[in-house]
Amino acid sequence: MSDPSGSAADKSVQVKLVLLGEAAVGKSSIVLRFVSNEFQANKEPTIGAAFLTQKCRLEDRVLRYEIWDTAGQERFHSLAPMYYRNAQAAVVVYDITKGSSLEKAKTWVKELQRQANPNIVIALVGNKVDLVQPSASSSSPATTPEPEDEADDATATPGEPSAGGEPESLRQVPREEAEAYAQEAGLLFFETSAKTGEGIVEIFTEIAKKIPIEQILASSRGGAGRAGAAGGRAGAGRTEGGVSLEENGSKGKDACNC
Amino acid sequence: MARNEDRQLYHYTCQLDPPSDDLFPCVKVVQLTSLRPTADLFCSLLRDALKAELLRGQMKSVKGFVKTCYSEMLVASGNEEDDRDGSVAKAESMAGNSSDSMYLGGLGLKFKFPGDARKLREASKTKLWTTYLKAHGRNLSLVRYPQCTRLVQVGLPNRLRGEMWETLSGSIYLRFSNPGEYERLLEENKGRTSTSTEEIEKDLHRSLPEYPAYQSEDGIGALRRVLQAYSFKNPDTGYCQAMNILAAAILIYMSEEQAFWLLDVICDRLLPGYYSPSMHGTLLDQRVFESLVHRCLPIIYEHFMAVDVQLSVASLPWFLSLFINSMPMVFAFRIIDCFFCLASQIASLYDAKSHIQTIAILKINGEKLLQIQDDGGFIHLMRDYFSSLGASAHPESSDPRARAITRFQELLLVSFREFAIITDETIQAERRKFRGEVIHSIESFSKRSAVRNLKTLERFTKEQAGSIYDALFKAICIEPPPATVLPPPSLLTTKENSEERPETRVGLKTFKVFLSEIATWARVEKIVSNGFQQRAEREVAEHEFIDRLFFFWDTNYRGALSFQDLVSGLDGVMFNDLMENIEWFFNLHDKNKDGFLTKDEVLTLSESLLFIFRYEVGDAYLGAVSRFMSNAFEYGDALLPRPEGADPNSEATTPIESNQPYINLATFRMVVLADEILESFFETDFSSTFKLEPVPMMDLPPSHTGLLGSLWTTITSDDNRKILNRFTDEVGKSIGKHQVLYRPAIGKITALEEPKARESLLTPTMRRSTSKASLKSAEDILVPSSFSAPANLNLSEPTSSIPSAEYSPMPTMFEAARANAAALMERTPFAIDDAKDDDEDTEEDTEGEEDDVMDEVDAFLEAHDSGLSAAEQELAQDLIHAEPVK
Ligand SMILES: Nc1nc2c(ncn2[C@@H]2O[C@H](COP(=O)(O)OP(=O)(O)OP(=O)(O)O)[C@@H](O)[C@H]2O)c(=O)[nH]1
Ligand SMILES: [Mg+2]
Repeated sequence: MSDPSGSAADKSVQVKLVLLGEAAVGKSSIVLRFVSNEFQANKEPTIGAAFLTQKCRLEDRVLRYEIWDTAGQERFHSLAPMYYRNAQAAVVVYDITKGSSLEKAKTWVKELQRQANPNIVIALVGNKVDLVQPSASSSSPATTPEPEDEADDATATPGEPSAGGEPESLRQVPREEAEAYAQEAGLLFFETSAKTGEGIVEIFTEIAKKIPIEQILASSRGGAGRAGAAGGRAGAGRTEGGVSLEENGSKGKDACNC
Repeated sequence: MARNEDRQLYHYTCQLDPPSDDLFPCVKVVQLTSLRPTADLFCSLLRDALKAELLRGQMKSVKGFVKTCYSEMLVASGNEEDDRDGSVAKAESMAGNSSDSMYLGGLGLKFKFPGDARKLREASKTKLWTTYLKAHGRNLSLVRYPQCTRLVQVGLPNRLRGEMWETLSGSIYLRFSNPGEYERLLEENKGRTSTSTEEIEKDLHRSLPEYPAYQSEDGIGALRRVLQAYSFKNPDTGYCQAMNILAAAILIYMSEEQAFWLLDVICDRLLPGYYSPSMHGTLLDQRVFESLVHRCLPIIYEHFMAVDVQLSVASLPWFLSLFINSMPMVFAFRIIDCFFCLASQIASLYDAKSHIQTIAILKINGEKLLQIQDDGGFIHLMRDYFSSLGASAHPESSDPRARAITRFQELLLVSFREFAIITDETIQAERRKFRGEVIHSIESFSKRSAVRNLKTLERFTKEQAGSIYDALFKAICIEPPPATVLPPPSLLTTKENSEERPETRVGLKTFKVFLSEIATWARVEKIVSNGFQQRAEREVAEHEFIDRLFFFWDTNYRGALSFQDLVSGLDGVMFNDLMENIEWFFNLHDKNKDGFLTKDEVLTLSESLLFIFRYEVGDAYLGAVSRFMSNAFEYGDALLPRPEGADPNSEATTPIESNQPYINLATFRMVVLADEILESFFETDFSSTFKLEPVPMMDLPPSHTGLLGSLWTTITSDDNRKILNRFTDEVGKSIGKHQVLYRPAIGKITALEEPKARESLLTPTMRRSTSKASLKSAEDILVPSSFSAPANLNLSEPTSSIPSAEYSPMPTMFEAARANAAALMERTPFAIDDAKDDDEDTEEDTEGEEDDVMDEVDAFLEAHDSGLSAAEQELAQDLIHAEPVK
């Protein structure tokens, strides 16, 4: 399903999503996994920000994610508002093997809640769970893209780490702690691995369910103004019908990054 | 041997004859074609630079230094024979054997250089360069002719690339004059950790990971050391992502030490502010770039606006990593070749280069860009374009020559042919234009968070604190704070909160700029007219008072002020009432904080007042200060504690030393309140010299067309304007038409009247008891004999010709007095400085009629306006005729 972007805009609902989080927690890797189902060890740091798109099919319509993957280093922080302005969704990532990255994630959440679009859907994501799972950390060679069905499996079984066999030595952020915080702050919560693909597609499907799509469509019909950054350009589409996401994990195949 | 800066100068103003032989200290004949003052200036600069160079005693180290340069080896080997490919290989093996040569090189030597050596025509490039280096000097003594630029355009040979980058960017001179510095930095900071070192560690394996060296400790270690050394040297900048990519790239071509200095030059001089914590340089350049696109490619710009695509989405990473991550490495490196070559050749800090090429990229893709509907499309198009740079630009053409032109060559051609109009000056002008805007819109984010992070707002509102932040930010843009000395390592390693960044602190220099944005007396605003033109100028004032304020506000004795320090400092003065202001002023001058001013301090305080009043009209303020001094000494002596049983009427009290406690706050207050002018100064005027709004532009009187009016408007380059200004000033002085009007800091009194001092508070007896000696000594120290009668001053007395020169004690008073006298005659709202008798020689000009002057000006401008565009056109020509890649 790789429509040229021009006509796709007519059929799909555009959702602007921004990724935030400390440097090297795996933001770009998560996007890469979601968009092309690939993983690269030693991915170069994002400079400024990167932009990618990916479609998700809902029951009767297509959701088109416009993904802004921002740079993690503190000094790029001042550029971030450019990217999260008008965003309908945000994925705030931390690295479960690095305690300080959760603190940074919390400051991002605070900033988003204070300064971003008031209806923004925020997901808190603890990445790199493969590092605390004995089977995954050694098996797959890093640069080989994962077979698609593996990603689908991950979708089917939400990233529930088996509490028993985990070598907890590397883990610095207990799942319970982060989850409790997410609950308290009203965030979606996931633990993922961009390396194995675990939990990645889930982030985006759960966000899609929570997004007030009717509102987006309504506001875009009212004439999407050029409000500063490249946001709020959601194309008009069909509006009738409830919003539910297709449950069989076919997103991997639908993926097109145009 | 001249230093780099000088070389740039003569590139601009003169021709050099090539040396007749290629022994190391080669003979250079300098031929000047310029006006005499310029020539003299040039010669004296050259002479001084050469002398300084000799004095530094570094000539001895040249011999050892050049051994580290590959070019020496090339030149030495090239003498032997001419066989095409063999010469270099032979030279290398020869050098390998000889213990003598120890030339430096990068990781590429071991891990191979990117690209195919045959395809890159390495051998013929090396040969061309060998010839050039032989003829025109190399490394430290390279002379740049247009041909050099052309050769760079064609591409540098891999083996020579690192050294040429060093030479072209000027970093070789830093390496030469700081031997061992790199190792020392690493040694002294061994084992130290900081936020920067942590961030560096994270990115070491994320820098050009596909290049084999960065999969081994060889590359990783080198990268770590270079980045760490830079962060130790410039802790304010520290480490910014993108620097890892830059460093990794240049390390392929140069040794660690070379890379370290080159990185230093890139971050501090070529791309200032790009990698700083606020990244103001980057933000500024994005605005400049957008406006250039608007001007050069209006259709594309309009389209982007219409579909709401942000240019910076794609261009920000290009600028930050100099295209290294965006296009195939071989091409990125050739862009970097050009970058170093042009960036320093324009003798300016900034590069026009990446702007030009980026605009060329857009131009070439013009038609496709017009189809773009969103950011995603834009980014994809650019990605595709970059990955196809090696392909033919005209695959359908019937002419095999045209087919052979690659897209990359096309890119360079278009950059030079079409956008030669974008000079460095254009970009500078744009930068200036946007500076204010960027400052205010720096996504208002860092501002808000800085304001939020303040421990206390004091009595300011958030908006006011924001204005203070704006002034500080502007000051940092204009005068970036120098790298501060690191605190001892022990302090740094104890960091509980790894998130805490070191605060931005500014030094005295930046502080002066900051203050000039806030306080009227901290800047010099003047209108200069010289008979040809009138112009408004603004400068940052210099005075001990400002230095004093800096240290006064530096309550933690760190030698630098943070945003919080400035807010608290301003709070201490901006909300004061009469009594508080008096106390504040007193404390500011009470150096040892013992509650007393010494006699010296009383004098310094008077100096401060005179500084603030320096451009006020009339002699009212001057009189007030003079009365203040005599009163202070009068009361001071009268109220001095006397030895037990001394005769109160006796004049023979032991004279008190000038550095001993003398008057206290109460006395000071009394003295101040004895004078109407001073009272109103401390009551309202002083506080109102602080303004938190942006400084308004000075409005020129409407009739300023003058003799050069039309000429003025046609000069587009700022540098040329400066030259013209200086030149017309000189002429103006020689024909007695040079005039400078200053804006007063308070500007309350515009008419001249003599406010009366209040009645003395002293009883006649007390008055009598005042020691004459004190008064006398004050006069001896400070007051020139003419002080009491400023109106009698002779205007034609020789004085310093530059009114903005430093206000050392004597000239301040002197100038204030002169300004007064002048004001008496002219009755303008500005004080006047008439620099009639200038001792600089302008003999030819003095007898010149205005026509002659005009001719001179024309010639002068012509000589200076011959920019680089000619050279660039030539270059484009050359590229067209360059032999195609096989
Ligand atoms: N083991 C493991 N490594 C990961 C995972 N995700 C990312 N990484 C690695 O972590 C490093 C950083 O990943 P990036 O995706 O570039 O991180 P980022 O958050 O985009 O970093 P910035 O662009 O600097 O902000 C890379 O070396 C990745 O290979 C994961 O799920 N598991
Ligand atoms: Mg990234």
